[in-house]
Amino acid sequence: MSNILTIIRKEFARFFKDKRLVIGTLILPGVLIFVLYTLLGSVFYDSNETYSAKVVHPSSVFAAVADPEGEESSFAFTEIGEDGIDSAKEEIRSGSLDLLIVFPENFDALLTEGEFSPVGGAPNVEIWYDSSSVSSSSAFSAVSAILDVLEDQASNRFDVNISAGGDLTSAEQAEASYYAMLLPFLILTFLYSGCMGIAPESIAGEKERGTIATLLVTPIKRSQLVIGKIVSLSVISSLSAISSFIGTFLSMPRLMGGSIGSALGSYSVGQYFALFAVMISAVLIIVSLISIISSYAKSVKEAASLSVPLMIVVMLVGISTMLFTTSAPAAFLIPVYNCVQVMAQIFSLQFSWVSLVITLVSNLVYIVLLVFLLTKMFKSEKVIFNQ
Amino acid sequence: MQEAQDISSVRREIVRAENVRKTFTLSRKQRAIEKSKTGKKVALDGLSFTAYEGEIYGLLGPNGAGKTTMLRILATLIRPDEGDARIAGHSVLKEPDAVRSSIGFLTSELKLEDFFTPAYLFGFFGKLHGMSDEFLAKRKDELFTKFGIDRFAEVKVGDLSTGMKQKVSIAVSIIHDPAVIIFDEPTNGLDVLTAKVVTDFLAEMKEQGKSIIVSTHIFSLVEKLCDRVGVIIDGRMAAEGTLPEVAGDRSLEDAFFDIYKRTVTGV
Ligand SMILES: Nc1ncnc2c1ncn2[C@@H]1O[C@H](COP(=O)(O)OP(=O)(O)OP(=O)(O)O)[C@@H](O)[C@H]1O
Ligand SMILES: [Mg+2]
Repeated sequence: MSNILTIIRKEFARFFKDKRLVIGTLILPGVLIFVLYTLLGSVFYDSNETYSAKVVHPSSVFAAVADPEGEESSFAFTEIGEDGIDSAKEEIRSGSLDLLIVFPENFDALLTEGEFSPVGGAPNVEIWYDSSSVSSSSAFSAVSAILDVLEDQASNRFDVNISAGGDLTSAEQAEASYYAMLLPFLILTFLYSGCMGIAPESIAGEKERGTIATLLVTPIKRSQLVIGKIVSLSVISSLSAISSFIGTFLSMPRLMGGSIGSALGSYSVGQYFALFAVMISAVLIIVSLISIISSYAKSVKEAASLSVPLMIVVMLVGISTMLFTTSAPAAFLIPVYNCVQVMAQIFSLQFSWVSLVITLVSNLVYIVLLVFLLTKMFKSEKVIFNQ
Repeated sequence: MQEAQDISSVRREIVRAENVRKTFTLSRKQRAIEKSKTGKKVALDGLSFTAYEGEIYGLLGPNGAGKTTMLRILATLIRPDEGDARIAGHSVLKEPDAVRSSIGFLTSELKLEDFFTPAYLFGFFGKLHGMSDEFLAKRKDELFTKFGIDRFAEVKVGDLSTGMKQKVSIAVSIIHDPAVIIFDEPTNGLDVLTAKVVTDFLAEMKEQGKSIIVSTHIFSLVEKLCDRVGVIIDGRMAAEGTLPEVAGDRSLEDAFFDIYKRTVTGV
């Protein structure tokens, strides 16, 4: 036992006293993810942006849809006369205006009394925009979408969701199911990449440099060395994943709207406990697998490249919740997959103790088997001295 | 010298290798270098030898004779295909943990992590050997002073000179004050001054009653240091005994050439 602690302490000293490792594994991932997601968010999604639009012959029906009362509008409409059209086009070209909408006179009346006309013959709504400007073209899509709806309604064969109907989900559930798909994937990916940053170095690297042989001539048992390595690597991988997760946590609202915080706030203590247990078993399994690959490999490089196929498998399993979920008990015997499914259950508030218990027990068995295999490998001169 | 032999015959055996065989499977690259058709290399071909308590035993042999392979088996890093070896009564096959506790092993393939300082590594390996803090502090004091490591105690191993690295490796290998010391080519790559520190140290260890096995291809080292010597050629023991028994009245070098010719030509 004390030998295991000695190994863990040494691995921590090796990691935490090395600025390069700490920055590369614990700080950079979170910062990079935050910066990347925030940048992506500001390109693809900006809930605060309002489009500036000038309107000739404004329509009250259109305004009621585009600028509903009591809600924050994404448009700032300014009414102008026909004489302002040319200068408005110029403003669009120069980027100071997003959109110019020219309604036919009496547009509202046309909507209610209009007759069917062949395309080209009907009254025309002119929308002027600049496709090279992101805000102008999104304003254009938004306005055309609204007008499409109005055009359909003008013919009024039937309505969809006008007088009744709607989204029955509660906001909490909607957010929960949204994160249920995303979070397991992110967690697995973060854990895996955290582990990839350190396990090959710690095992294949020690083999490559001949420092593991120095350990092997001390009286330490191979199993103690293996357990010490796996525990310390798991802790560091988890810290790295937490760093990535904090980066995600802070940038997600900007990328996708909503907030992980409010989604996370809707879980009970029991669910958090379950989540924690599942994640620990996921870390241990992933670390053991990468450690086995790393001890088989002759060098750090080889270990890294051999881990890539496994990473692809793990990531595919990670997105499996987006495609299907299961409640068949047998499915929770499959390592990694079971973690993803249980996490998805927890996040989507459809958690079952049965699947949790099956997952934890079967993972425990796998972890013991993997540690046993790794110990065998450490005892084998063909593995340890295969340079 | 007659006296010494009498004493040795009543001395306790401390290391005994019996019929040790070790065959390596060669990789494709090695096969080309060794020009081996079978893809196998017999490194040790039924090697036996005995070292007695309190003596310095020299394994002498040319490159590729199997010296390092034999010592790695003694240190339980690799296992013999056939045969067994006992150190202080423990079998390397059946009680590898007990064997490792009773030996201090040094070979060039054992490296220390560049990132750590000698002081840190001392604490680390001391704990792995189950040493008390008190004993550890005492050993650290002794060995750091003896090898002049004190001044470099807080310098990362990666920044040390080859000689200082070797001294730290030696200090780490015997940190637990083992009864048996097994050193593979301990003076390889060292200048004469550093080499002398090492040989003086081995002589001192013998004074303290330790049993020592060194492997080397340097005749003068054997002549200066060893009580008994085993000449290994092609994984087999070609001659074994006290220096006078093996060399007679010639120099060890001349005797070695005779032994070599006799062994290789099979006359
Ligand atoms: N892991 C290995 N794989 C393949 N062949 C090996 C391996 N280790 C040793 N050998 C071969 O076994 C033989 C004995 O090697 P060993 O290192 O024991 O010799 P040595 O007496 O220590 O030589 P040197 O004086 O060069 O150190 C050599 O031919 C070597 O190539
Ligand atoms: Mg050698």
